[in-house]
Amino acid sequence: MKAFSFPVLLLVFFASGCAHGPDPAVSLAPPISPPRVRQVLVVSDPVQIPPTPPEMPVKSETGKVDDYGDIEVLEKVSEEAKVEIADPLEPFNRAMYHFNDKLYFWVLKPVAQGYRKVVPETARVGVSNFFANLAFPIRFVNCLLQANFEGAAAELGRFTVNTLWGIGGFLDPASSKDISLSKQDEDFGQTLGAYGIGQGFYINWPIFGPSSPRDTVGLLGDTLLRPYTYLSPWYAGAGVWTYDKVNDTSLNIGDYESLKEAAIDPYVAIRDAYVQYRLKKVNRKGGNISKEDAGSPEKK
Amino acid sequence: MKSIKVIMLIVFVILIAPERAAASGPFGPPQPIVKGVGGVHTGIGYWFHEDTYKNGTEQVTRRNQAYSELGYGSLNGWEITARVGMSDLKLINAFDSSNASTTTSKTDFEENGKFFGTVGAKGFYPFNNTFGIGAFIQGSYYFSDFADTVSGTRNGTPFSVELRIRNLWDVNFGMGFQATVPYDIKMYIGPYVYYTELKGSPSADVAGVAFASVETTMKNKIGFGGFTGIEVPLAKGFRLNLEGQYSEKLSVGAAVIYVY
Repeated sequence: MKAFSFPVLLLVFFASGCAHGPDPAVSLAPPISPPRVRQVLVVSDPVQIPPTPPEMPVKSETGKVDDYGDIEVLEKVSEEAKVEIADPLEPFNRAMYHFNDKLYFWVLKPVAQGYRKVVPETARVGVSNFFANLAFPIRFVNCLLQANFEGAAAELGRFTVNTLWGIGGFLDPASSKDISLSKQDEDFGQTLGAYGIGQGFYINWPIFGPSSPRDTVGLLGDTLLRPYTYLSPWYAGAGVWTYDKVNDTSLNIGDYESLKEAAIDPYVAIRDAYVQYRLKKVNRKGGNISKEDAGSPEKK
Repeated sequence: MKSIKVIMLIVFVILIAPERAAASGPFGPPQPIVKGVGGVHTGIGYWFHEDTYKNGTEQVTRRNQAYSELGYGSLNGWEITARVGMSDLKLINAFDSSNASTTTSKTDFEENGKFFGTVGAKGFYPFNNTFGIGAFIQGSYYFSDFADTVSGTRNGTPFSVELRIRNLWDVNFGMGFQATVPYDIKMYIGPYVYYTELKGSPSADVAGVAFASVETTMKNKIGFGGFTGIEVPLAKGFRLNLEGQYSEKLSVGAAVIYVY
C-alpha cells in the first residue's frame, strides 16, 4: 500500500488547482498562475488604474466637478479595496502559501515548462478546451441552481456544439463569432454566494490554494460533478486532474511570477485579489451578497 | 493547370480501374469545404451503406455508420479529410442453410459498434463562379473484427460456429461536377469506382452454410457507381450535406458540417 501511495502522492503533488471549481482564473495560489489575476489586481491597486480621459468631467469628494480625473475612479477603487476577509488562520495560511509557492517553483513550473517544450501551443489549447468542455456539468447545474436559465441553455448549446463539431471538445466552435455562446463561469461556491452565504474566513489549502469555508464546500460539490472523479481506480482520476493542471499551467507560466514581483506582500495581495475576484463573480449574476462579502471590515 | 493534370490523372485511373466496387461514406461536394490553406471544418454524419460482395456466392451487406469528421485545407486547393466512427455490419442470409440436413438458429450475421476510420483528399477546378469539376480519393478501414455466432444441428448433431469478418476495407476514386446555385447551395453529381473486400473466417466448417464452411475472401460484385448530393448552408456557419450513391445497391447519408 505504501509503495503505491508514494507515486500517487507525488502525482497529486505535481498538481495544482483552486479550491472552488473548474476555472483556473479563480485560483490565486502559487501552483496555478491564472491569466486574470493581474486584471483583478488592477482593481485593488489604485496606482494601476488608468486615468480618466481629461475631457471627461469628474466630481470631487464634495461632488463638484474638478480637474482631477482620477478621483471618482479612486473612490470606486477604494470602495472595492475595502472588501476584505477575516484571516484568523493567518499563520497556517502563510505556511501553506510558502508550501504552494515552493510546489509551484520546484515542481509544477519545471514540469509545465518541459511539457510546453514538447507539446505545441495549439495542442495544449485543445487539451484545455477539452477539459473545459468536460466540466460542463458543473457550469450547467450551477446556472440552473442560480435560476440563470439563459446561461444554462448557453452551456447546453456550447457542450453540444463543442462535443459534436469540436471533436469532443478539443476545438471551441461555440465561442466563434457566428455561434457566440460564451462560457458561464459558474461553480458551487458562487451558487452558495448567490444564496446569501458569505465567504467566512480565508483558508489557504495546500495544493488547492486560496479558499474559504464556503468555497471549500463548493469545491466538494464541483468535484462530484466532474466526470473524471468517477474514474476507477481513484488515482486514474487524480492523474487526469494533475495533467489538466499541468496543461493549464503551461499556458500561463509567468503570470504568478508577475503577481509576486509586483506585490509588497504577495500573500496579502493574493488573499485580497482572491476575495475580490470571488465577490465579483458572485455579484455578476446579481446574487444576494451577504454583508460579509460586501466588505464589512472584519479582518482578524 | 496543376489541378487539371491531377484531375486528368484521376480520370485515367477511373477508366482503367478494375470492375470491382463498394463505397463507404459520403464523398461530399467536389469543392473543398474549408476556407483556404490551413482552414478547418468538422462534421458529424450518418451513412447507410448497402452493397453486394461475391466469391462464388453473393452476399448482401448492410452497414449503419455514425461518424465525426475533420477536414484540413492543404496546398493547391486540396482538402484532406479524416473520419472516425462506429458502424454495425449485417450479412443478409450469411447463416442460411442450403442443405436440408443442416439447420441454423438464425440466418443473418450481425454485430454492432466497431470502430472504423476514413481518410480522403479532394481537389477542385472551377470553370467559373457557378460550375466546376473536382476529383477525390477516399478509403476506409475497420480497425477490429466483426463476430457473430450461430448454432444449429447437422444430421442431428448440435454445432456452434463463430464467424469473424476481418480486414474490411475499401478505396474509392471519383470525379464530380458541381453547380453552385443562389444562396450558396452546391449541387453535385459524378461517377466513381471502388474496390472493397472482407475476409470471413469461421471457427469450424459446417457443410451447407455458405459463409461458415470455409475461410473466404469476398470482393465487391461491381466496381463502379454514381453519386449525387446537395450541400445547403444552414445558420451560424453550419452546412447540411445530403448524398446518395448507387452501384449494386443504394447508399444514402447526411452530415452537418461546421466550417471554421
